[in-house]
Amino acid sequence: MTTITYPLSRIEGHARVVIDVHDNEVFRADFQAMEMRGFGHYVRGVPAEQITVIVPRICGVCSTAHQVASVKALEDTFGITPPPLAEDIREVLLLGQLIQNQATSLFIFTMPDRANASSLFELSQSETGKAREFSLAQNALKIRKIGTDLISLAGGQFIHPIKTVIGGVTSGIPREKADQMIQTIKNLLPVAAEMVDIYWEMSMEMGDRIGSWGDDEPTHYLASIEANNYRLNSQRLRVMQPDGTEAPSFDPHEFEAYLQIAESEYSYAGVSNYMGQILRANSLARINLAESLGTPRADAYLKRFVQTFGKPAHAIMFFDLCRGIELVYALEKAQQMLECDLEHGETEVGYAPRDGTGFGLVEAPRGPLIHRYEVENGLIKSADFVIPTVHNMLAIRRALMVAAKRYVSEDGISAELERAVGRVVRAFDPCIACATK
Amino acid sequence: MDTSKDLPKFAVLQLSGCSGCEVSLMNSDEWISNFQLVYMPLVVSTHKIPEDVEVLLVTGGVRTDEDIHNLRKGRSRARKLIAVGTCALSGGVAQFKDNHIARESFIKASHRLRMPDMLPNAYPLDRFVDVDLYLPGCPPTPELFMTALKEPENAKIASIVCQECGRQKLNDMRPKHLTGSRSGVVLPDICLINQGYLCLGTSTRGGCGALCTRPGHACVGCRGPANPYLNKDPEFVLDNLRRVFTRMTDIPIEEINAALASPWLSLFLGQFTDYTQESDLPLRTKEKML
Repeated sequence: MTTITYPLSRIEGHARVVIDVHDNEVFRADFQAMEMRGFGHYVRGVPAEQITVIVPRICGVCSTAHQVASVKALEDTFGITPPPLAEDIREVLLLGQLIQNQATSLFIFTMPDRANASSLFELSQSETGKAREFSLAQNALKIRKIGTDLISLAGGQFIHPIKTVIGGVTSGIPREKADQMIQTIKNLLPVAAEMVDIYWEMSMEMGDRIGSWGDDEPTHYLASIEANNYRLNSQRLRVMQPDGTEAPSFDPHEFEAYLQIAESEYSYAGVSNYMGQILRANSLARINLAESLGTPRADAYLKRFVQTFGKPAHAIMFFDLCRGIELVYALEKAQQMLECDLEHGETEVGYAPRDGTGFGLVEAPRGPLIHRYEVENGLIKSADFVIPTVHNMLAIRRALMVAAKRYVSEDGISAELERAVGRVVRAFDPCIACATK
Repeated sequence: MDTSKDLPKFAVLQLSGCSGCEVSLMNSDEWISNFQLVYMPLVVSTHKIPEDVEVLLVTGGVRTDEDIHNLRKGRSRARKLIAVGTCALSGGVAQFKDNHIARESFIKASHRLRMPDMLPNAYPLDRFVDVDLYLPGCPPTPELFMTALKEPENAKIASIVCQECGRQKLNDMRPKHLTGSRSGVVLPDICLINQGYLCLGTSTRGGCGALCTRPGHACVGCRGPANPYLNKDPEFVLDNLRRVFTRMTDIPIEEINAALASPWLSLFLGQFTDYTQESDLPLRTKEKML
């Protein structure tokens, strides 16, 4: 038996892939998280109202999603409904998070794979050419920064934001600042669309070169957006079955009846399934479950995607293309929302804390995120974090197995397997800090 | 994106943390043109720190046996090591300090086959290696990153958060009780302490641009103690905070003490002791702090 370990880069956190091969046959392909954050342990006993400052620190990449989910879980516990304006500002915040995340995954994490380069900043060593590479990197960072600027605008600061509070948000978005942001988006939206087109073209070339788009076995998909409303500040979870039909949707309170989550022996991250079946979350799940995104450019990309690859689409490299569609959507949608009045009106309501159990759901970039808190005597008695990356664990393993079988043959283990392993994992854009909460 | 080989080599080693420091660093892109990035697994597929690194940033706390190994190896290959973020300086939110119940429960749950072993706590870097410069913050702002990389010796850092906050301290507005962790409408332009918020800005190191307090959120002390509170008795900072609240408010001292001990604040305030005389860590002098 030969055990091959591949350290991973260009993903969030510390993880590795381990593949066992015997007599040129693949026995196991595993994706392992190598650190444990452990927030579930140390928030026990913390005064409930203070937890919203602590849990964004689960992850600096996803802190916005955690903060909003945390606040929503306490609002659910306390029985509060925040004003509509606050819900809209939270949506802007989550759109900022989506822009930042998808731009990072597309350009910093996965574009180098398409050019066989080690990083976005080293694309010059590839066939892409110096001049183009320079503008790609510059544009990538500029587009990503719109995301962080939006989070700062709606959240107060771009990592571990602070403006979302129990009962609403602390303030609206002034017209002048909204207008500045709109101008930036207007300037950069065509650039982003061009970048997505380049990415799409590079992906098609890569697919041709490799001769595969990766694991394409039909699977269950989980997302919390609506069919015709791509709202990330979401309410219910939806499931698409492998044949494309929809299973009954469910409320975050009911998640345990549908999603089984277990610890893993070889990894610090858990593993979940949907009623015993492999499931997938993240961009491809959302796009498969969407009829329309509701903005013109994004809907044109959606149409092109469905016409080219079908609906539902299953190959894992489609996750990457779907991130491109979502990047364009989030820019368009943020502009639309900023054009509305987000300055005047009630931003928060008062509340009286009470004991109980509450659930908070948001559609994070990697899929539906649920926080569940049990509050007793004003303190957190127990806290669960239901993490999107965990929902993809079985799907990542299966896709790694598909790749390993492709590159392990009678001739031995192909050197291409290392690159394939990186591409597979990055397609799912896992977040290790979150997955080991 | 100048990758020319004569630029100084720059590396980023991430131990156990949340990647927030890296996300912040990515928002200050000047490092790309001033340095040659040779190691940063988050953005570059390289798995080895080269021998002759000029500046090594280390983020995250020391949480696994593998972290200790990688930290020592990184140190031996870098001329200058900068400890970045609250986790690298004090373990961050992952440090348990006196919370033995959380530690036990964590350790019990943290054994896996063929995985790095989790240590009983998240430790600061200077428990294991020499640190040339400390850059605190959760996370440090992109501007602070640039200062750390460019000319940290000549940096002018605001001494305390109040200096950059701009909210006015009033003599005739004395709250009788602490306002909850966050409730009601925050008045603009008036000091948060006058409004009954437990703000630590009076003792916390500035340089963050008062990012939290200006929009109305009490400072939680993520940048650690300001220079006057370095290397003093552990009670010195707490005494100062008590004095501030006694002078500016009519809140009973018992209420202040209870609040200062609350888990939310202890996450950052708890690590102020890492900068005191009692600490078993090397002295963190003001010359080494940014």
